[in-house]
This record gives sequence, C-alpha cells and structure tokens, in this order.
Amino acid sequence: MKTLLMSMTLLALSVGVAWAQGAGPTDPQIAAIVVTANQVDIDAGNLAKSKSDTKDVKEFAQRMITDHSGVNKSATDLVQKLHVTPESSPISQNLQKGGDDNLAALKKLSGHALDKAYIDHEVAYHEAVLQALDKTLIPSAQNAELKALLVKVRPAFVAHLDHAKRLQQEMAKVGG
Amino acid sequence: MRIPPGILIALVLIAPAGAAGRGTTHTVIIEGVQFSPSELIVHPGERITWVNKDPFPHTATAANKVFDSGSIAADASWSYTVTKQGDIEYSCTFHPTMKGKIKVQ
Repeated sequence: MKTLLMSMTLLALSVGVAWAQGAGPTDPQIAAIVVTANQVDIDAGNLAKSKSDTKDVKEFAQRMITDHSGVNKSATDLVQKLHVTPESSPISQNLQKGGDDNLAALKKLSGHALDKAYIDHEVAYHEAVLQALDKTLIPSAQNAELKALLVKVRPAFVAHLDHAKRLQQEMAKVGG
Repeated sequence: MRIPPGILIALVLIAPAGAAGRGTTHTVIIEGVQFSPSELIVHPGERITWVNKDPFPHTATAANKVFDSGSIAADASWSYTVTKQGDIEYSCTFHPTMKGKIKVQ
C-alpha cells in the first residue's frame, strides 16, 4: 500500500513540478495522460470485479469500467477528429507505473484486504487525477474541444471519488 | 341528443385548458453528471424526456418507484409521461450524487 501511495504522491509531485515550471503538457501529451488515466482505472476495475467477493465493491468496479471506458471512447474519438497523436510524458508514465504497481499489489490480495486496498487506491487515484485536471490538464489544454472534454468529464471523477470514499467509510465501520 | 351550439363552442374553448399538458414534452439534459434543470414543474399528461449527453450511462430513478429508466446509454434518451399530481424526487442509481425533482401540479 505504501508503494501505491508513493506512486500517487509521485504523480502529484510531477504534476506540481510541471505546473511550477510553467511548462504544462502539450495537447498530444494531455491526450496520452487522459487515455492512460482512464485505462489504468479500467484495468484495476476488471481485476477487482473478478477477485472481490463483495457486491458493493464489484458494482463500484463495474461502474469504473463502464464510465472510464466511455470517457476513453470520447477522448479517442476527439483526438482522431483533431488528428492529434497521443504522446508519452513523465505524467503519463507515472500514471502507468502507478497503475502497474497497483495491479501487482492487488493480485497478491484477497477478501477484505483486497477490497480495502482497491478502494483506498481508488480514493487516492481519483484525488490525484482531479488535482491533475484542475492544476495542469485543464489550464494547459490549448484546443478548445479538448479543454471542453476535460471540463465535461471532471464531475464524473468527483462522483467516483465520493462513491469510493463512501465505500471506504462503510468498510471502516464493518471492521477496518 | 342534440347539444346546443352555445355549449359546443364553450366546450371547444374549454377543451385546450382541460387537456393542458397533453402533447407537451419537457427535456432534462444529463451532462457533467448532473440533471439540468434539476427541478421541473409539469402537469399530468405531460411528457419528460431525459437526454444523456455524457459519454457513459445514467439512470433516472424515482425514489417512490413511479418510474425507473434503467440504463440510458451515452447519447440515448428515455421518456416518461407523468400521471398524477405530487412531488417526485429522483436520482441516478449509478451516480447517487445526481439528484432531480419533478413537481407535478
């Protein structure tokens, strides 16, 4: 879990550093960040859905798969329309690394430990993505349609964060 | 039975008011994980159409169970014709932070 939180901190730091230097990501880099951010959460959702025994966790995982697949489809459609080729950057690489570390950690867990690790990570992940959207991605996006898409999907991340936090609180009540 | 012409005219004049609402459709846009407008005032017989402009599914589900759209896919819509007066609170079962209200008057 420490590794996971550390990777999230790294994401927040890399976002912060890029912002502080005034060198925000380019539109092709933003496109790759958006696709990676959604994909790592779809992957985590697929794993949690198949491994968890808890109805609420499975339903949350399915919601993440459905919603983030939908966001990715509209992001992919838009970048194709705009003829933008997504480009890797330290932020997208950190996101991917965080996602890979999370999957590796979740694969070793089961039962309550799996549920807790998955939901804790979901809270941290959605907080990190919201921070990235607000401080870096939305302010840096040059293309108006790309910026509009980021603004439009932001509330979904807020709703997911709220949902994840609620599950986190319920789990804490049930028995830590 | 023959109806006197005066009454016929009166009936014709009254008819549109009596049927208020029939044929009227209100639209609620679902976008950015919100119902817009979040509150709607309608009359019995009027139709409400929810249009999902988000890239993922939502539902419009009444707390008192009078309607439940089930999953409304991205870019799809769903309609419901209100029948009786009263307030209906509804939400999206997928995203419970999304709430709306219909006042049927």
